[in-house]
Parts: sequence; C-alpha cells; structure tokens
Amino acid sequence: MKPAPQLLVLTLGQGLAGGMTASVGFLASIGGLNHRLALLLLGAALFCAILGGGASFFHMHHFSAARYILRRLKTSWLSREALTTGLFGGTLFLLTVATVWGRLALNSPLYIALAWLVTFFGLVAIFVTAMLYASIPAMLSWHSPVTVLNLLAVGLLGGSGWGGFFGMVEHGPSGQLAAAVAIFLVVTGAVKAFQWHVFSLARHRIRATTGFGLPFAPYRLQDSGTTRAPYRTQTQVHPVISDGLRLRMAVVTAIFLTVLPIVLVILSQIAAEWGWMLGAAISITLGSIFERWLFFADATHSSRVFFADEPREASRVAEPVMRGRLS
Amino acid sequence: MQLTIVTDLNKCVGCKSCQVSCKEHNTSGAYGPVPDAHPRADVDGMWWNRIVTMESGAYPNTSVMYLPKACMHCYDAPCVPVCPTGASYKREDNGVVLIDYDSCIGCQLCMWACPYGVREFDEEEGVVKKCTLCIDRLEDESLPEVERQPACVQSCPTHARTFGDLDDPTSEVARLVSTRQGFGLLPELGARPSVHYLPRRPEPPRVDKETLEKVMAERYE
Repeated sequence: MKPAPQLLVLTLGQGLAGGMTASVGFLASIGGLNHRLALLLLGAALFCAILGGGASFFHMHHFSAARYILRRLKTSWLSREALTTGLFGGTLFLLTVATVWGRLALNSPLYIALAWLVTFFGLVAIFVTAMLYASIPAMLSWHSPVTVLNLLAVGLLGGSGWGGFFGMVEHGPSGQLAAAVAIFLVVTGAVKAFQWHVFSLARHRIRATTGFGLPFAPYRLQDSGTTRAPYRTQTQVHPVISDGLRLRMAVVTAIFLTVLPIVLVILSQIAAEWGWMLGAAISITLGSIFERWLFFADATHSSRVFFADEPREASRVAEPVMRGRLS
Repeated sequence: MQLTIVTDLNKCVGCKSCQVSCKEHNTSGAYGPVPDAHPRADVDGMWWNRIVTMESGAYPNTSVMYLPKACMHCYDAPCVPVCPTGASYKREDNGVVLIDYDSCIGCQLCMWACPYGVREFDEEEGVVKKCTLCIDRLEDESLPEVERQPACVQSCPTHARTFGDLDDPTSEVARLVSTRQGFGLLPELGARPSVHYLPRRPEPPRVDKETLEKVMAERYE
C-alpha cells in the first residue's frame, strides 16, 4: 500500500516517546537519574510525542468531523488510539512540568511511580496503535500478533538507544543502559525477521482463485473495470513494491536497525565514548524509519486480487501464434 | 431485512452498463456524491461499481468471465466497527451500509478494513464514499414501484442482476442463492457479504486441440 507520511511520523514519534519514557522509568528505578538527564529524556520524548500527535491530526482530511472521534470507543481502535495517545501526551507533559518544577526528588517512590505510570500509558498507546493495524483481517500482512510485538519492540529500542546516549553524556549508568539497548536489539531483530516471514506468507495468499470463489483454474485478470486500478482513490491497493526494492530495503533496515547499532554499542562500552552511542541512536532511528516505510509499503491488502497485482502469466492461447511468428 | 443484489455470472456479458449507469445516476452533475469534475482528464476517477474481467480456464478451453463488484453490504461489515466517528453504519431496517459524509474524518481506515476494495476516497471533499445501493431510489415514493431498485439492476440488459431481500426466504434473491448455490467473495475473511453471485456452469469444449492447431497452422505457418 501507499505509505502515508503522517502515519510514518505518528507511529515513529509515538514509539520513540514511549521508549524514552520507559528509559526514564528504568533509570529512576535503579537510582541513576539526575535532573539534567531527566529533562533531556523527557524533553526529547515530549518533542517526539508532539510530532506524532500533530502528524496524526493532519492524517484527517475532514477536520470539522474531528469532534466525533471518540464516538466509537466500544469498537474502533482508532477512537481508542485518539484517547490513549492523548492520555499519554498529557501525562508526559505533566511529568515534564513536575521535573522542571524540581520539587519532586527524582529517586523518590512517588516520582518512580509517576514515571512508570506515564510509561504504562505510553506502552498502552503503542499497543492500541498496533492493534489498529493488527485487527484488520483484510490487511493480510498486518493481521497477526507479530505486528503488536514489532511496534512495541521498535519503539522501546529507539527510546532506549537515545536513553543510552543521554545517559552516557550525563554520566548515568551507561553499562546497564547499554545492556538494555543490546537486549532490545536482539529482540527487535528476531521479531522483525519473523514479521517479514508473515509478510511473505501474506503475499502468497493473494490468488485469483481465492478472490473469485470459482472452481476453475487458472485465472488471469484482464481488466479491473477502468483503464487502470484505482491507485489514487484506493491507496491500500497501491502497486506492490518490486522484489529488488523489497530486498534492498530489508537489507538496509537490518543493517541500520540491528547490525550497525550492536557494533556501535559494543564500541561505546570499550572506548567509553558517548560518540559511539550517539551513532547507535542515530542508526536505530534511521533503521526505524526504513523499517516503518517497508511496513506500510510492503503490506498486502486482500482487494489486490481484483486489481491485477497477481504475477502475470502469459496466456497460453497466444502460444501457437507466437510460435508461428518466431519460426 | 437485508437488501442485496444477486448476479448471475452466466448472464453477465461485461457490457458495463451497470458501471456506467451507477456513475450516471450518482454523479447527477455537480450535486451527486460521485465526483466527476474532470471526466476527460480523469477517466480513472471514482467508480462505485467496477466490472472485473477475468480470463479463466486452461488452453484450449478458455473463456472470459465478468464480475460486477460494488459494496457487498456485508452482514458483519468490517468497515463499520473500525470507523472512529460512527460515520460508517449499517441500517437496521434494510441492512444497507451507508456513510454519513458530515461525520467522516477521511482517515480511510474503513478502506483498509473492507476486504473487497469498494470504498473510494474523495480527495476534494476529504471523505470516503461507496455504493449506497441507490438508497435514494429505493425510498423515493414518487417513483413507480418497479423503478425502486438500484440503477445497476435496472440497466442490466441481460437481467443478470436481481434485487431483493435476502432474509426473506420467499424472495427471488433468496431462492436463487439457495437453489443455485450462490456464493460470496472472500468468505475466509469473515465479512459475510450479502451480495451473492451465481456460479458459472461449465461449458463443454467447443473446439478440440487438433482442430485448433490445424486452423492455427493454416493461418500462421
């Protein structure tokens, strides 16, 4: 399908904000949080949350109806997303204000509890957004629990990467932060590999024989009703990306999201230099962008079966004609 | 009550009169819901009813079939619960799935949720639109009774399309579905479409392979 820039920014911003808030909670729990470090992390998280929230607002095309967005909380994950993302943004803002205010001891049980509460709201927001994608049966690539795991893992990885960088700059417990980043790198790599397998299975489910419910085979789609498929009015059937582009993007994603950061995190611990961790955080962020682009661009929708995206096979009716011409 | 259309795939000749009559009825100049502001420049614009053409079978016994595809007005319409504003809804009195354009925010989530790709996004108004089963005709009491049916059904020259209440076991559509093994598309996705199709009957081969190759050899070799 066609990746919408607003959705890329929303999911990435929300994930990074959730991950960075989790870093604050983690650091507060182990007593490794100082005032500047907390401000840096919360400020960055708030920036990402605002970026994501703003992008989600502009994904709407009919603003006057936005006031009805919470009408279907009972059934719609998008309604729930608006509520939970708003709740996360609001509580994150209040925690940042409380930190700037400075009256609350950063290692006090109350602050730790508040940090974990905001983290919980952040994780719930990511979960709800992921469920929005995972709960649509027609989006064959996304209709899997792996989608939820993927969005949570990438978000936590990105947040912990920046948490590790800020932690090293502000002389926090860099070893523990690096260990957290390493764990998320391994988990994200495994989840991502499994999800690409799910995407591959989804691509192979798109066959005309299933879409048309008819007993005869094979089928060849000749015409989708107009001179070409409705790529402009139906973005979910946007042409599938080529095998070459898919492979290139997967390799680039794997390198930036997992391979390069692992090397850089190890180097940061050997050299005790924050520059390496900065490189790891930037690499993870770039990898997340590539990963999310591929997540949307390579998604297979069931309606593609009606729009000529099945691999084309030459008609055997024309074979004798072609043979005659060639001879 | 569940209003629906049953299409006999043996009778459909792919003339696209239903596709065109749908566009004609629902465009109605500048006031209709189907945008058609630049008909010459944008021939691939919005269509609520599309005739998909398939070549089926294996050489030498191939044939072409046509599948009119519009909103399936599903019993468990997946586009309805995903809508955050309640703009997509299913009418309880007749089962027609409709969109309230005033409360649609244009998020397009319903387009993702629809398994059939029959919802289309109107970029100018920023809302999603789709087949209404010509609800304006069905409820127009100024029309004669015989004309209170969707434009695509009325315009079909071969009477391939039949309109009626699927929940009424005495109706023509219920009889066709039950006696001729009517089927819905993509049943594995669980939407329970109300629109059904009557399967094509297998046709005996009209030409054997030897005859065909003889003719081809005479003409091309």
